[in-house]
Amino acid sequence: MKDAMFITIPSHPKFLSVTRAVTSRIGELYEFAEETIEEIKLAVDEACANVIKHAYKGDTSKKIVLKYSVTRDAFTVIIEDSGITACKGMIKGRNLDDVRPGGLGVHFIKKVFDTFEFDKIKGKGNRLTLIRHMQIKI
Amino acid sequence: MKIKINDYKGKTVVLISGDIDMYSSPDLREQLMVFIGKKTAFLSVDFTMVSYIDSSGIATFVEGLKCMKAYGGRLQFFGIPQGILEIFRFSKLDNVFEMYGTIEDAVNS
Repeated sequence: MKDAMFITIPSHPKFLSVTRAVTSRIGELYEFAEETIEEIKLAVDEACANVIKHAYKGDTSKKIVLKYSVTRDAFTVIIEDSGITACKGMIKGRNLDDVRPGGLGVHFIKKVFDTFEFDKIKGKGNRLTLIRHMQIKI
Repeated sequence: MKIKINDYKGKTVVLISGDIDMYSSPDLREQLMVFIGKKTAFLSVDFTMVSYIDSSGIATFVEGLKCMKAYGGRLQFFGIPQGILEIFRFSKLDNVFEMYGTIEDAVNS
């Protein structure tokens, strides 16, 4: 059994609050632990922020598509954009011992999701697949 | 996110409420830079009403700290909610920033 949901947001930072609200609500619906909801919310927010920053280079006129799926043993979020191909900045964070602004978002994502995988979308854009393996009441 | 500035026992307190994210952190940066431009010696940030912080918010504070340290200023945090404290800990920044439980602890440090 699988439940699936998707939303599309404009690539403007003001809509990141929408992804956070939706992600939290999904976590609540499936009775995720509060700490897990906070971690997943942050990770999805960071992934979308990376799309705005790196794939769209701050262009707020584009779209970001988020596809959520929930099964008994996994929570998956697929994030698609039509921007430039994923660069190192989207995939690799900074060394945590090197204290300087930036480079933390990827660490927040990798902390909570077991799978962090980029694919190029045929033609143009990126698809980021995030999977967290967990027991879910569905 | 909303920012209010207060004076407490002669020290500047920045009260932040709401979410600090990629959308709101430029406003926060602008406000911090006003104080940094004046070489404010002590800046205490009240986190009590902060509901969320992402990497751009943290980056803003890291930048602010570096700027303040350059002229001998001190950037202090107090009233940090547990969930946000965990984010600072995970980022190995809990020992980089001055963090206090209350405004009294911060201003008396």
